[in-house]
Amino acid sequence: MFARLLGKEYQRKQALAKVSPGPLHDYLDTPFIDKKSDCREIEIVAIDLETTGLDPKKDDILSIGLVHIDGFSVKLSTAWHRIVRVDKAIPGESAVIHQITDDQSAAGSPIEELLPEVLQRLAGRVMLAHYSPIEQNFISAACRKLYGAPFVVPVIDTLEIGQRVFERRNHTIQPGDLRLFNLRPRYNLPQYRAHNALSDALATAELFLAMADNLYPGRPCPLGEFLSKR
Amino acid sequence: MEVELLEIRQFLEQRNPFVYLSDELLNELPADIEIRYLRRGSGFPPKDGFMYIVRSGAIEIYDDDDELCEKLGEGDVYSVSCQLVNLSQCARGEATEDTLLYMLTCARLKALCRASPAFSEHFSSSVKERLKAAINTIQESDDPSVATMMIEVGSLIRKQPITVESGMTIRQTAALMSNKDVSSVMVMQNDELVGLVTDRDLRKRCVAIGLTGAEPIDQIMTLDPKTIEASTLTAQALMTMTRSRFHHLPVTQNGKLIGMITATDLANQQSANSAYLAADVRKAKTVADLVDVSKRLPNLHLRLAAASVTARHIGEAVSCLTDSITGRLLQMAEDELGPPPVAYVWMAGGSQARHEQSSHSDQDNALLLADEFDKAQHDTYFESLAKFVSDGLNACGFVYCPGNAMATNPEWRQPLKVWQGYFTRWIESPTPMSMMLSSIFFDLRPVTGKTELFTPLQKLILKKSQENRIFLAYMMANAMQHRPPLGFFRQFVLERGGEHDDTLDLKHRGIVPITDIARLLALSLGKEPVNTVERLRACAGSEVLSSDMAENLEDALEFIASLRIRHQADQIRKGKPADNYVPPRELSELEREHLKHAFRVIQTMQESMVKRFGADKLG
Repeated sequence: MFARLLGKEYQRKQALAKVSPGPLHDYLDTPFIDKKSDCREIEIVAIDLETTGLDPKKDDILSIGLVHIDGFSVKLSTAWHRIVRVDKAIPGESAVIHQITDDQSAAGSPIEELLPEVLQRLAGRVMLAHYSPIEQNFISAACRKLYGAPFVVPVIDTLEIGQRVFERRNHTIQPGDLRLFNLRPRYNLPQYRAHNALSDALATAELFLAMADNLYPGRPCPLGEFLSKR
Repeated sequence: MEVELLEIRQFLEQRNPFVYLSDELLNELPADIEIRYLRRGSGFPPKDGFMYIVRSGAIEIYDDDDELCEKLGEGDVYSVSCQLVNLSQCARGEATEDTLLYMLTCARLKALCRASPAFSEHFSSSVKERLKAAINTIQESDDPSVATMMIEVGSLIRKQPITVESGMTIRQTAALMSNKDVSSVMVMQNDELVGLVTDRDLRKRCVAIGLTGAEPIDQIMTLDPKTIEASTLTAQALMTMTRSRFHHLPVTQNGKLIGMITATDLANQQSANSAYLAADVRKAKTVADLVDVSKRLPNLHLRLAAASVTARHIGEAVSCLTDSITGRLLQMAEDELGPPPVAYVWMAGGSQARHEQSSHSDQDNALLLADEFDKAQHDTYFESLAKFVSDGLNACGFVYCPGNAMATNPEWRQPLKVWQGYFTRWIESPTPMSMMLSSIFFDLRPVTGKTELFTPLQKLILKKSQENRIFLAYMMANAMQHRPPLGFFRQFVLERGGEHDDTLDLKHRGIVPITDIARLLALSLGKEPVNTVERLRACAGSEVLSSDMAENLEDALEFIASLRIRHQADQIRKGKPADNYVPPRELSELEREHLKHAFRVIQTMQESMVKRFGADKLG
């Protein structure tokens, strides 16, 4: 409870003290980016997970997609997409959305092989997601299970920014307004047909660039203003 | 490439110039891309050292004088900061919509250019050159159905082949060439063709390097020259010449040499077609004879189109024939009615005046009479004269003008002073009606008669229109009724409804806008030409029209007009009436791209002219 008030940097040090050497230790050992930094200059990692459901305790990560933003441009050379091997059968209703079949999943890598790369990419950077609790909680659950400590990360959430923009303009929010693919056309961003972790991460990255540039047109945009309070 | 980036590959692979890249290069491409967002109003380009591809949104590019150079829309590429060609003046711009950009480093772009010459070619050329290349592609199309309409080169050979024996001296050969008055000879050895010598060889390979002329001809001849079969079609021969840069081709039949064909022969053959027709027009004794000759006009149109004659020259050829037919009809009328009571000029309006007629154009004409004209006394004569000619033209396939802009209409059969009054009124107090007439009567040319009468009228038109800014503003506003069919997202906007559903109206949305632009520019600068290309050239380099823009417009016109001619030739061949409505599926992907470029050139010019002439300030 207090930890949340004391801020992410405090949480990071606390978690670091608990964790034994390994990928999460290395990750937590890297200081977070200064909140006063300009979003136009820092490195941000846009990430999206496809999961078998919404409960990190019961459900599994099916795939991970991420792409880096550096100096306010998305670098496709950093694009990374992996399928996670899940040993349980994938529930049919979620397969409809992410279209990952049992066979594809079986050909993926176990999460313990993939998580170190995710942590390494996020170290010293900011995580960007659309509706970030999914990414935060699922990665944190995996970290607890594998490394015995929680995952702490500074987060930008485009859904939260969207919500703030609506509220600031006194617009009532209709159901679905804040979905990634409904927010994008407001910034004249193209529609992507594919629906998977990487293309959603990319779509989120572009949306963030558009939102930040519109909120702070032509001037520095302080990271602190965008960080999620969660 | 992550397969998930396939969508980016798919976006690029169907667009110029990326269509030219191999699958391998295309697969590697997405990973090299950076994506950036520009809010509306942001400066462009955001960074140097990159080429940009517009993924969504729009960018306007300006030159050093803040004049609009180009508009970039979805899929358009901007590579000025990579300086592949000389530094463009159009280097800075602004996002006019929220825009998402794909970026590729200049280093990567240059590597792609090295890997793919076709891709590289795109960057070595401006819009202008790209259009030119596209025109050439069309004109080189070897559509077999077009080709069957054409003449075999064998039929063009008039002379026995002029040959010399291998081993003859250069001087002897030169003497023979001047004696026979030919620009080239074939060199034979044991009845076999072994070489070719042209005037150019004599200059460059002999005189220029100081040979005495006593050397054997073999020393300067082109060895084993390229030959063509007599059954080759002329268009094919032209293409071979263009590609190989040989202007002389020995022609063989069943392996036997039968003569030589030159670039000049091929060019002459094309004009000979129309010259032939013109001679028949002169020989015609009756209207029925003229009708017979005119029946060959669509065929001429077709043949010229098939023979890769430019749209501009086809328009000229057809208009010249219409002039001849008109002149012949007037002579016949005078023979029947007696000499005219007062001097007159038969004036052509519209496309005939502009020398841009196609074989099925309507007739637009008027009579300009000397001021001694007395309606009560003389009009019966001119009414009959007008009727004779107009009926004759109609019978020849130049149908009556639906707007009644013909000399048979008493309003358009008037003495000079009345015409001067008309134009003064139209220019000084423009109305919707006068705007409607402008495309006919502001393109006016004397065809035959006492043409000096026309000079004072033309002077008045040019002087008055130049001085009347309000008239020019109205003209511009009127011109904006015809806009290129590009939508908000710079896609084609197709015609809707009726029999022309889902087509592009090349005439009203491509050719007419350029004609309107050229007319307005010429009137605003007091330039005499009536032909669109001549008008553009006359106005090029002025404050209103940069030389570059003039060339771009000229190329855009030629490109659109050649697409139209091909379309019409196709229809004529299928026995359908020719029209201007082209379904996009008739065009190749590349032609569609080029057509968009052409339309964009028009759009850019229209927008700058609306501001320039204050058409946006009219109520």
